[in-house]
Amino acid sequence: MKTSVEWLKEYSDINVDVNKLAERLTMTGSKVETIEQKGNNIKNVVVGKILEITKHPDADKLIVTKVDIGEGIIQIVTGAKNVKVGDLVPIAKDGSELPGDIKIKTGMLRGIESCGMMCAVTELGLELSDYPEQIADGIMILPEIYEKYIGKDIVEALNLREDILDFEITSNRPDCFSIEGLGRETAIALGEEFKNPHKNLEKEIETINNLEGLKVDIEAQDLCYRYVARVIKNVKIGPSPEWMKRRLNACGIRAINNIVDITNYVMLELGEPMHAFDINNVKGKHIIVRRAKPNEKITTLDEIERNLDVDNLVIADDEKPVAIAGVMGGLNSGITENTNTVVFEAAVFNRGTVRLTAKKLGLRTESSSRFEKGLSPEIAIRAANRATELAEMIGAGEAVDKQIDIYPKKETKKVIPFEPEKVNALLGMNISKDEMISILEKLEIKVQGDNLEIPYFRVDLEGTADIAEEIIRIHGYNTLNSTLINAESTVGLKTKTQKLQDKIKNLLIEKGFSEMYAFSFIGKKDFEKCKLDSSKAIKITNPLGEEYSLMRTSLMPTIMQSIATNYNKKNKNVALFEIGKIYEDEEENIKKGEIANEQTKVAFAVYGEKADFYIIKGIIENLLEISNISRYQLERENTTNLHPGRSAKILIGKDTIASFGEVHPQVLDNYGINEKVYFGVIDIEKLGKYGKENKKYTPIPKYPAVERDIALVVDEQIEVGQIENIISKKAKNILEKAKLFDIYRSDKLGENKKSVAYELIFRTKDRTLTDDEIKNTMEAITKELQTNLGAELRS
Amino acid sequence: MKDQILEIKENAKKEIERTNTLQELNDVRVKFLGKKGELTAVLRGMGALPPEERPAVGTFVNEARDEIENKIALKEKELKESLIAEKLQKEKIDITMPSKKTELGSIHPITGIIDNIKEIFLGLGYEIVDGPEIEKTYYVFDQLNTPIDHPARDLQDTFYINENIVLRSQTSSVQIRTMEAQKPPIKIICPGTVYRSDSVDPTHSPVFHQIEGLVVDKGITMSDLKGTLETFAKRCLGENTEIRFRPHHFPYTEPSAEVDVSCFVCKGKGCRVCKNEGWIELLGCGMVHPKVLENCGIDHNIYSGFAFGFGAERIAMAKYGIDDMRLLYENDVRFLKQF
Repeated sequence: MKTSVEWLKEYSDINVDVNKLAERLTMTGSKVETIEQKGNNIKNVVVGKILEITKHPDADKLIVTKVDIGEGIIQIVTGAKNVKVGDLVPIAKDGSELPGDIKIKTGMLRGIESCGMMCAVTELGLELSDYPEQIADGIMILPEIYEKYIGKDIVEALNLREDILDFEITSNRPDCFSIEGLGRETAIALGEEFKNPHKNLEKEIETINNLEGLKVDIEAQDLCYRYVARVIKNVKIGPSPEWMKRRLNACGIRAINNIVDITNYVMLELGEPMHAFDINNVKGKHIIVRRAKPNEKITTLDEIERNLDVDNLVIADDEKPVAIAGVMGGLNSGITENTNTVVFEAAVFNRGTVRLTAKKLGLRTESSSRFEKGLSPEIAIRAANRATELAEMIGAGEAVDKQIDIYPKKETKKVIPFEPEKVNALLGMNISKDEMISILEKLEIKVQGDNLEIPYFRVDLEGTADIAEEIIRIHGYNTLNSTLINAESTVGLKTKTQKLQDKIKNLLIEKGFSEMYAFSFIGKKDFEKCKLDSSKAIKITNPLGEEYSLMRTSLMPTIMQSIATNYNKKNKNVALFEIGKIYEDEEENIKKGEIANEQTKVAFAVYGEKADFYIIKGIIENLLEISNISRYQLERENTTNLHPGRSAKILIGKDTIASFGEVHPQVLDNYGINEKVYFGVIDIEKLGKYGKENKKYTPIPKYPAVERDIALVVDEQIEVGQIENIISKKAKNILEKAKLFDIYRSDKLGENKKSVAYELIFRTKDRTLTDDEIKNTMEAITKELQTNLGAELRS
Repeated sequence: MKDQILEIKENAKKEIERTNTLQELNDVRVKFLGKKGELTAVLRGMGALPPEERPAVGTFVNEARDEIENKIALKEKELKESLIAEKLQKEKIDITMPSKKTELGSIHPITGIIDNIKEIFLGLGYEIVDGPEIEKTYYVFDQLNTPIDHPARDLQDTFYINENIVLRSQTSSVQIRTMEAQKPPIKIICPGTVYRSDSVDPTHSPVFHQIEGLVVDKGITMSDLKGTLETFAKRCLGENTEIRFRPHHFPYTEPSAEVDVSCFVCKGKGCRVCKNEGWIELLGCGMVHPKVLENCGIDHNIYSGFAFGFGAERIAMAKYGIDDMRLLYENDVRFLKQF
């Protein structure tokens, strides 16, 4: 909320500069977002009088003028068309500054010296609408009364100086959405006396049911807590006085006419949004506060037709809605030049309904933003009285000295216990009871023995914790002690999965992979690019756009997108990994209001010189190793987005825990990548689940190993895995290791043939193996390889 | 005879000194000490001496022999050493040639920040807790004193899956899950991904990362909160870091505060990062609202607690001087490898 410091001064002496004021208010809880110092950006601009005008000798569109600027007469060359001899104009002198960081200096215009500039309204940073007599594309011509100000600073002459603070009002403090509330905070923050000039607004007036023919009914008493109406007769619509316009302006509200301005002024001053109707536009002179009918329509003051529904509260007459309650008035009942009798409405509505209506209509107004914070119905009477008082004061009309006040359920005074010890215990402070009382009294909270009586405007105060905040914010948050917890000690330890994640990250970084971050929601197109099914993905109902509407079910789309980004930027040899979640809802839990299935996975992708299938196979094996998983099966993968001949998966029993391989060429094509990319993904939770936690020591072998080499020629399609299976089957328990050390192909071997060579290491833990044992085993292996795989032994 | 032996010894020494190779040295050895060597010849000639002189001359010859042998051994060692030195000199390589190191990857700056914060709080005895990202409104709002008509629940701010399920807008949901499941003392931090409906621009991202902390026990005070955050700020951002508590409002804490830290770029003098204020807004915190404790079945007359939460991106950006948040999610390796 914007507030002028000048207005705050009605409530408190302010003897500090605006920066200090802002700091003090911020530190006591009224956060100043920005400080605007109007007039500070205009320097060295004075009132001048044009004494002489001659044509420029070398330019048809320029004139040469002599201007009296008090301290002397200067020459100014200008292209202005609306000036004549005798005019009073703002003169930016040599070395002057204008809004927008513009600096004016003496210079030559087509050979003639010009010692300054005449200013237009907008060049002074002023709004043309505030100076209706001025024109847009001409110099500002000041009225004759400014003759006495020749040579005087324009900021002073036009009274442009104004300090404006813009506050962030938190949702718990509707009272601070007003000058009165901020004035109270100002006085407290500065340690000054709070002088409320409008303290006595609760005066008693006779309440009647029929006010100059007007009747009011609240049908929706759950949504409208109070409705006060006052009537002003013999209204003369016209502009408001300058002081009122100026204050409205400073707070960012445009002046319209005296009646509308009064409602806005009271809203700013007291925090209660008001509305004014022309009584003759209210059919049957009957105001009904009710829920809108389905599809009921109203054209609001901004001339837009709005569709309403039963969730919306309206102010209606006998026929139609005349205002959307707490949001905006209707065009049909607004104040016009011909309005003669005005109804001032000061009502209090349910915060939720106003907020939802404003949201739904996309119509957030000064009024709705106050109501949605929740106001006490007690405020309505003060606002109605103040508006009436102002109407009479500025001569807008004659107030009828009676009121309508529908207040079905009078709010009771809130009382909460006063617990100074509890306050100190919660704060860890030792503030005396006397000081607490003094703070509370400044806040208009009455201390009555062991109880606190809360003023109506403090809707936020409900218990001792709230009181503790009030006390410490005034006592000073900076006075809080700085202590460490004095309680039972606790042990901070990472869980098994957290430690495993750290290990995985460290391994991948050592292997040259850079960690990436991605959004967890993607678009349907991203699924398609990776040949993934998006039909079961969890959908966001209000996404930022289609491209961010589905929760990912795989880490592949985001990692491939980042690979593509790097590829397009011509980065070479890129290796990325991501530890992230995927989201699935196979059992449709979300429909039942339950949460989905989230799994943490690590995915990695790589392209470039050193990328190939066996490198990522090695990384997968390393990851299994650091997770203490040694028993698993390797099988061919059959997923749509990996190369069918160059992809594999790792299983434990029937549970797939990893999948990896060359990315399918069609997928690469979808991302416009012309290079092979290898991708792998492992389920971290499963690594944790299957990983053995307790390692056990096995004695180092005591007996020597026997080594034998074996070289075979087999058909190309025979996989080494098949050979190894036979070797380990036949060698039974004496094989320690079968190490593939050579594969070669040549013309001599013949087409479609390859030679495969193994080093076999035999050992037992309880004795030395005999030559016969080895010989028999080797023969058994060879024979099986020959029969099963058609292998030929090479010598 | 003695003179003759002395002469042989001196000659031998000279010749040993003159040798340059092991071969030459061996030749000298043969010449003087070999079967037909000069000194051997002298020994053989001892038969001509009177028997009473023989022992003395014998001793003299043996001493000369030892001396020559020592000399040879010394020279041999010297020659061998220079031979090795020469060989090694020839084996010299260009040590400025590129190494065979493996190219290391890099940790993402957000992970770096979160890991650092985790370490600090683990050291203070906190546990790290995680929870679902697709969460019930019950945990994200209801239990956190944010009723149905509260502005924080707006569609503009929160991504909804349906009426009751949202993408969590804060990790506070994990605090509620913990308080419902566990009796005090509770000391946890919850780092995690959170979601808010902000369009992607240099300072906003709909997906970002939060770290929240929660302590509930008997006698926990707001001064403890300040002390804890002061300790944290100094360890995370440097020993000279100052913190400033400002009153603020959150529905789930009371009293509530926003915390600023002295700008770690300019040390509080005023710069671009802190917008010349000398302070950077770092986090929100407060004493757990009595209603929140009650909602989780914890008696607020016995227990109290504090909670705090901050964004990892904000800290990473300020700490590393990153001026565009989009860089954090674009994953250009030229950016990633800087961390």
